[in-house]
Amino acid sequence: MAIIDKPLALPAGEPRRAARPLGVFTRPKEQSGISAWLTTVDHKKIGIMYGSAALFFLLIGGVAALAIRVQLATPNNTFLSGDAYNRMYTMHGTVMVFLVVMPIGAAFANFLMPLQVGARDVAFPRINAFSFWVFFFGGLMLNTSWFLGGGADGGWFNYAPNNGVAFSPSHGIDFWNAGLLIAGIGSLTGSINLITTVLNMRAPGMTLMKMPVFTWMTLVTQFLLLFAIPVITVAQLLLTFDRRFGANFFNVQQGADPLLWQHLFWVFGHPEVYLMILPAFGIVSEIIPTFARKPIFGYPFMVFSGIAIGFMGWGVWAHHMFVSGLGPLSVTAFSVATMFIAVPTGVKILNWMATLWGGKLILNTPMLFSIGLITQFTVGGLSGVSHAIAPSDTQQTDTYYIVAHFHYVLFGGAFFGFVGGVYHWFPKAFGYKLNDTFGKVQFWMMVVGFNLTFGPMHILGLQGMPRRMQTYDDAMGFNFWNLVATIGAFILGVGVMLLLANVAYSYSKWKSAGRPNPGPDPWDARTIEWSIPSPAPSHNFDTDPVVTSLDDFWHRKYQEDENGVVRRVHTGEEIAQPGNGEGVHLPAPSYWPIVLAFGIPIIGYGIIFNLWLCIPGALVVIGALFGWALEPADDLDAPGHDHGHDGPGHDGSGDHAEPELETV
Amino acid sequence: MTDVAIPVEHAPAEHHEAGHASSLGLSNTKLAFWLFLGSECLLFGALISTYLLSVGNFVGQVVAGNPRVVSTMPAEIMNEIAEKGTVNGFFDIPFTSASSFILLMSSLTMVLAHKAVTESNYRASKIWLSATALLGATFISGQVYEFTVFYREGLYYDGNLFGSAFYTLTGFHGAHVTIGILMLVALLIMAFKGKLQADRAETVEIIGLYWHFVDVVWVLIFTVVYLIP
Amino acid sequence: MAHTAHDNEHGAHPTEKQYWMVFVILVLFTAVEVAWSFMGFEGAVLVVPLLVMMTIKFFLVAGAFMHLYFDLKLLNGRLFTWAFAGAIVLAGAVYAAVIASFRFNI
Repeated sequence: MAIIDKPLALPAGEPRRAARPLGVFTRPKEQSGISAWLTTVDHKKIGIMYGSAALFFLLIGGVAALAIRVQLATPNNTFLSGDAYNRMYTMHGTVMVFLVVMPIGAAFANFLMPLQVGARDVAFPRINAFSFWVFFFGGLMLNTSWFLGGGADGGWFNYAPNNGVAFSPSHGIDFWNAGLLIAGIGSLTGSINLITTVLNMRAPGMTLMKMPVFTWMTLVTQFLLLFAIPVITVAQLLLTFDRRFGANFFNVQQGADPLLWQHLFWVFGHPEVYLMILPAFGIVSEIIPTFARKPIFGYPFMVFSGIAIGFMGWGVWAHHMFVSGLGPLSVTAFSVATMFIAVPTGVKILNWMATLWGGKLILNTPMLFSIGLITQFTVGGLSGVSHAIAPSDTQQTDTYYIVAHFHYVLFGGAFFGFVGGVYHWFPKAFGYKLNDTFGKVQFWMMVVGFNLTFGPMHILGLQGMPRRMQTYDDAMGFNFWNLVATIGAFILGVGVMLLLANVAYSYSKWKSAGRPNPGPDPWDARTIEWSIPSPAPSHNFDTDPVVTSLDDFWHRKYQEDENGVVRRVHTGEEIAQPGNGEGVHLPAPSYWPIVLAFGIPIIGYGIIFNLWLCIPGALVVIGALFGWALEPADDLDAPGHDHGHDGPGHDGSGDHAEPELETV
Repeated sequence: MTDVAIPVEHAPAEHHEAGHASSLGLSNTKLAFWLFLGSECLLFGALISTYLLSVGNFVGQVVAGNPRVVSTMPAEIMNEIAEKGTVNGFFDIPFTSASSFILLMSSLTMVLAHKAVTESNYRASKIWLSATALLGATFISGQVYEFTVFYREGLYYDGNLFGSAFYTLTGFHGAHVTIGILMLVALLIMAFKGKLQADRAETVEIIGLYWHFVDVVWVLIFTVVYLIP
Repeated sequence: MAHTAHDNEHGAHPTEKQYWMVFVILVLFTAVEVAWSFMGFEGAVLVVPLLVMMTIKFFLVAGAFMHLYFDLKLLNGRLFTWAFAGAIVLAGAVYAAVIASFRFNI
């Protein structure tokens, strides 16, 4: 492959197809303020919005979690009624999985991946904005159920036939269906967009095996989403038809087999757990080499183990169903497959440790969180292997042992990685570093709180305490560890909130110090997103970076001298791009993604409450589609507009999209 | 509902990825559309699996004589299902075969339309596009007719498992065909305005991809639902 | 580089005559399918040929009409062809396993 292909620029002066703004169909022009955020198509802003929305939902899910822990702190507690308790744990699980962990992954993917592959933006910027808004409105819609008859109450996986109208007559599960279906549209369009970006918009020279590990993990994650989302979509549509239109898919009286729900849910659900953890794996794979001052150990193994997890993740779903009466052959096959999938995961853990081995470790906050992920995820992974053994799983199913397991992988694993990632890339996003001492305090508080909360659940589970029980009796012997877990949960809650406190604290410090710039490369890092100024300018790269090796930026800074000793030949500041956006053409913002996304929940409310409401919703959607299609392709008056530009970044909504073209 | 967001960005993107040596050689739009179709495969896979399981369970209950299975269908049809152990006697195979033929035919006219556009043969492209849309509309009319007949025979959506599964699966497919027809109509409007030039061949090709995908799904449905008991 | 590949693409697409031939084959297979279903066979004798013909039709439409056969050649390297094949096999296997676990209770 040719490494240097001249970027194809339209020669200046070439006549462009004239865009004809039609009345309201002009592009928004705001550069700052709230309306700039509402109409933005910039992947970095969208990434930040994903993160902020996830933090908002984290508060809701966190309050639910603390309510659960308060209820369980003492035996025979009456803080929550049985009904309220059902809604609490269901909404806690649903919100945390779909509206916190998944969007944080999307936040990192959106913000970082285009920077890491050296692209101007994602492949379809307007669809990217739509993905965010439809996720956000879907999440809001799901949470309006708190005020409209109570949240869903069937557990986050909502097993049939318990999810039917007969057993859950309130609208909670309808909201659960509609909200997640709508958020799922965002995941689907987002995954298509990001895969296209990774595959088609890499900088010249960046072959697949020169991509950063995070980009690889994003690719695998988005493929998992692409194929998993339609399965849950079907399951939720069938359930919606059952609940709203009297279909019989899960109606046992009519001979339906409710196990179908479990299969559909877990065919989605198991890839889902991998797509929650893989972005965090990618994040620590970037952080550890940076602060161990060594290249990642076994890069190809990191990549292929990620791909292997992506493939094998599809063959293990029935290990969630060992007690559902599967036949012996199924149980054996899925048991073996589940043990096998621990191998690529183990490869990753080994490689991180080998990267740390002999490195000059800089134990700052991102590094601590990464090490926290490795340690705690390993604990969760080991208890996961104990679920792979079917007889042992039969004992553990539906006990707190399971709760302990998945919190160790999702909180101790994924979430720790995410917090580390926030500390690591914060200067690239906002232009100032978070306070490191504060961060270390936060880390240790989270570690202590986390292990106090979920460690005892292993013991409780093996003692036989079932999940989803509103309370327990004094004589059952669960008192002590439950109280410990509750205390831990509050420590953990404070620990998580310290992140926000640190942001505020560091901001005020930074402001009073006269807003010093951290420089493009505050960590002496390895990948090309550090070769542009901090915060990243809206046009990303002044010119297309040309990539010649893995960790390209590092290799431009450090080279071997004649004695074979690796020496720094440049500082990051010297070779970083100056951030001069002159002559760069960017996709113009658009009103229509948010309008389109706004129409869809209206249809959702219509399906729940009154079908007539679907009509205004559909009108909004159709109107927005027309607006989207008839929007002038580009705002010729936008600042920085120039004819001599190269390809990436203005493709989907680019200047070829003629007003008359898009009707559907 | 998930369909609406994808087909709106048909920018022919030959120029764009050419500057990027690391791209795959497919344009962004086409690659994205293939990804979307991959996702759709899983969607229809789940629907077809659901149909097979649901109808299997339904027939099992009827054969076993479960009195709670709602029989809004006439007794002789229920007896036939119980006797033969399949619902396929319910279908009108010659009629559906004709429908299948029409949909296959529309796939042919679609590729011919694409070929005509690439060769700048605009008169032919209008003819073939119109033919495709008309054949698609004929297929949908046939489906509406079939649904009406079945409904009169007592197969209700909320009646029993068979009704729910059958209408959901074929209805999903019909909705996809309808969306395809709308896209074809949009193409036709462009064609008659003279906007559908050879540089837009990829737009036609992508809508064609969608159309053939819908056809391929019907190939599966026709065999699995209608022919195999 | 990608540019030349794209230019070649249309030259490699089937001719009109080939499209017609594919169509005729598809119609023939459909006719045989329908006829087979009326022959009164039962069990595997009925089902297996139908599934085989369905699969052939599936790949004919995808390969010829959807240009899959031609577009896959455009992609850099064989990795993607394998990934694509892997994805199809995977999706089929997942659903087959779901159905099998119900039907045969294995």
